[in-house]
Amino acid sequence: MKKLLALPLLIAGLGTAVQAHHSFSAEFDSTKPIKVTGTVTKVEWQNPHIWYYVDVKGEDGTVTNWAFSGGAPGQLMRRGVQRNSIQPGMVVTVEGFLAKDAPHNANGSKVTFPDGRAVFTAGNDEGDKKKE
Amino acid sequence: MRTITNFLSAAVLTAAFTLTAAAQTPAGIPRTADGKPDFTGFYEWPKSDGEQCHCSATIFDRKYIAAQKPGGEPFLEPRTGIPRHDEPRDFCMPAGFPSNMLSAYAMQFFQNKNDLVMTHEFERMTRIIPLDGRKHREGLEPSFYGDPVGHWEGDTLVIETTGFKRWSLDDYFYTNNKEYRMHSDAMKTIERIKYKDAKTLSYNLTIDDPKTFVGPWSQEFTIRARPEWEKTGFVEYFCEENNRCPGGHCGADGK
Repeated sequence: MKKLLALPLLIAGLGTAVQAHHSFSAEFDSTKPIKVTGTVTKVEWQNPHIWYYVDVKGEDGTVTNWAFSGGAPGQLMRRGVQRNSIQPGMVVTVEGFLAKDAPHNANGSKVTFPDGRAVFTAGNDEGDKKKE
Repeated sequence: MRTITNFLSAAVLTAAFTLTAAAQTPAGIPRTADGKPDFTGFYEWPKSDGEQCHCSATIFDRKYIAAQKPGGEPFLEPRTGIPRHDEPRDFCMPAGFPSNMLSAYAMQFFQNKNDLVMTHEFERMTRIIPLDGRKHREGLEPSFYGDPVGHWEGDTLVIETTGFKRWSLDDYFYTNNKEYRMHSDAMKTIERIKYKDAKTLSYNLTIDDPKTFVGPWSQEFTIRARPEWEKTGFVEYFCEENNRCPGGHCGADGK
């Protein structure tokens, strides 16, 4: 059963930077973490950011297509995330942060598969503690 | 007799110095035909020690950054409300040096006795560095990547780059978009590259920007060889391929 989950996540150091073509803090709200589960409908594995889309069924049965942006293909490949890591038809749980000006657009960070494997698609890995 | 003693003393001192210098360079490093360390190969981007994941762009650690020069050029670029000024990367503008160098992608170096060519997967940065100790070119227009020249100090390659235009210093903007960290057009950078061991380079980067800071400052990074990345080579990077930020407004719909 697909669920829409929006848990208040406390992740230290998460989302402070996105190796992206636009500022994380300008485009995404670090106070609004999201977590959704659904079926991948489309993947754009292109520069300057990948985009992947997920159909999420709400508790009322309504299906909403979410759009997630991530890092660049080369960047993701260097940490082991390949072009075929996320494919249409896969069921995934995506964690990230809501875009400030779009209700179903988010910065996609952790993508978890049904077998428990996970990949990190954000420009900045949530485990990265930046020394500033 | 004194001449022989002096000669022997000099010989001993020279041998001692040579052994000392040789001991500082690890054994088994690749060398070119003329005996210089050979930096040809695939690498990951420079990383600072202590980062746990190492998956993101490297930024300068505040503790190394010198104090700002009173009355100097602003280190933090104030926002103007003009998107192309405030968020130039939304317009696919270049990262420049050193920001691009520190981006979280692969690098590939090519070296012969005349030049070291540094290429970087991010934005396909290419720096061509002559190694013959020449002076900087004159009369150049300021640029995002400057004019680099290199010379050897023993087994350390020293690269000095001048001729920059005022631009972002590193990717800190994407940590806090109110702090767009800048360098001025007076910046000179000095890179010191040497082998730490056969698979690791020491990369010491000095920022000498008299318009912005009270003095030069440096940070040490590590560059790890990644010969396995030869299998796939670089991924292409064309920013405009799927840029969702036309005109400076970013969104999933690309409007």
